[in-house]
Amino acid sequence: MKRVAARVVYFGRTALRGLVASPVTSVVAVATIGTSLVLVGAFALLLFNMEGLLERFGGNLHVTAYLEVGLAQERQRELAATARTVEGVAEVRLVTEAEALERFRTGVARGAAFLEGLDENPLPASLEITLVPERQSAEGMRIATASLQGLAGVDDLASGQDWVEGYLRAVALVRGLGLGIGVILVLATLLIVANTIRLAVVARSDELEILALVGASRGFVSVPFLLEGLLQGLAGGLLALLLLFGLFHLVLPGLAFGLELLLGGAVPAFFSTGQALALVIGGALLGVIGSGAALLGGLRA
Amino acid sequence: MKRAAVRASSRKLAPRASPGSGGDAAIRAYHVSKSYTAGSFALHDVSLEVGRGEFVFLTGPSGAGKTTLLKLLFAAEQQSEGQIVVLGRNIARLGERAVPELRRRVGVVFQDFKLLPRRTVEENVGMALDVVGTPRREARAKVFAVLKQLGLQHRRHHHPLALSGGEQQRVAIARALVNEPQILLADEPTGNLDPELTVEIMDLIASAATRGTTVLVATHELGLVSRYGKRTLRLEAGRVVEDSRPRGVVR
Ligand SMILES: Nc1ncnc2c1ncn2[C@@H]1O[C@H](COP(=O)(O)OP(=O)(O)OP(=O)(O)O)[C@@H](O)[C@H]1O
Ligand SMILES: [Mg+2]
Repeated sequence: MKRVAARVVYFGRTALRGLVASPVTSVVAVATIGTSLVLVGAFALLLFNMEGLLERFGGNLHVTAYLEVGLAQERQRELAATARTVEGVAEVRLVTEAEALERFRTGVARGAAFLEGLDENPLPASLEITLVPERQSAEGMRIATASLQGLAGVDDLASGQDWVEGYLRAVALVRGLGLGIGVILVLATLLIVANTIRLAVVARSDELEILALVGASRGFVSVPFLLEGLLQGLAGGLLALLLLFGLFHLVLPGLAFGLELLLGGAVPAFFSTGQALALVIGGALLGVIGSGAALLGGLRA
Repeated sequence: MKRAAVRASSRKLAPRASPGSGGDAAIRAYHVSKSYTAGSFALHDVSLEVGRGEFVFLTGPSGAGKTTLLKLLFAAEQQSEGQIVVLGRNIARLGERAVPELRRRVGVVFQDFKLLPRRTVEENVGMALDVVGTPRREARAKVFAVLKQLGLQHRRHHHPLALSGGEQQRVAIARALVNEPQILLADEPTGNLDPELTVEIMDLIASAATRGTTVLVATHELGLVSRYGKRTLRLEAGRVVEDSRPRGVVR
């Protein structure tokens, strides 16, 4: 037990000594990890928000079936009952002409004035159709609308289908772009971290030679370098988190217009604690894997 | 007494240093050859045996293979042919894990000291204990004890470059001895030192043997060799050409 403690102290001390011995390379490594994580993190943030939006609105997706003008109330109710039997439909609510008018009056501020001059109610009756949760997607909506289209007495169908499809495409684009850029950045970062550790190995070659002579195992010699990479990665991850947090709160308000386009006015959310933790752990992993790669490349002392 | 006599005579009959003979030998080499480049041999058919606690000089002209032999003994190089058994272990068959374990039991000293200039004397010596995970307090005590034994305790917080050559070599010896190795190998340990210091350093190395450590010292200072009157193995062009034991001493 005491020996383990002695080892841990030795590893920590040696790793710190390595970081301090070449401050410039250490800072460069931390900055590199930090920068690429900021970029990857920004994409992730955008993606999470867009997906979140989709989820929130997904639950409210309705299909509205406008009924032909002049249908008898009874016929309207029959249609509503038929619509309920269509596969994928969860709920159907009939909105009569009178209700539609009432809604328009009270719901839209200027609606009342707009209707002043009209003698007749111009609004049609409609069915508000909610889909079962499994069908609340662009695809599900497509299937449901196709079935509803054929019902006699339905004049027109309106759904968020086009909007959802376009938005899904945008989300896929952001995801693909983020993934592509992320892969490139991660590889570049690994290379830079690996190079940093390689330099550290070379700088400590005298020490490694002596350690080998006095009976140090390969693992014993490797641990401080892995730890050095880990510390650089942790620092880079924390730096990225801090920068993203700063950017989120300082820069986002200035980008209101662009965000409006992407998020449709939803309030953007920052990472959850778990996601923030994942970012930092990601940095640590970058550091460890980078230095591990460097050690595999050569610890032949 | 009787036992010793029997052993001595049986040794004459059996081929020297064949595997299985001399169970208490620290080092046994059996028809060992080493060639770095095809066609030329740095060591050629070398067989030898060094008993536990024995002190042996390794001499011979430059290029004779002294350094090569020492390197084989602490597994820094691998022999091309033959068998080497060090402390009961066949070193050609040592796995990656066993090499470090062997080295913890074999201290090594070089002509160029191999000290880290940015570490203190105490830290340099302590490296051998870091490796085995000796707890800090115990490590300090051990380092202090070995430095005291070598007359360097007052220098423990200095850096190597602030020390004389003789002192630096004493630090290296301290590092080799702090783990209480069973074998001490020294390759020209006094090659960089003045004559007075040479004797001082050699005395320290010899005293390790009196405490039971097997000591092998490569040197081409023949004056030194005759002064100590110890067993001497002479290498020439990779072969053992002479194994002279001091007269009157029968092991
Ligand atoms: N790493 C190596 N690669 C190739 N040849 C080597 C290597 N090391 C030693 N040799 C050769 O092996 C032979 C023996 O060398 P070694 O260093 O063992 O001699 P030595 O007795 O220690 O000499 P010196 O007294 O000069 O130190 C020499 O011919 C040398 O050139
Ligand atoms: Mg030599």
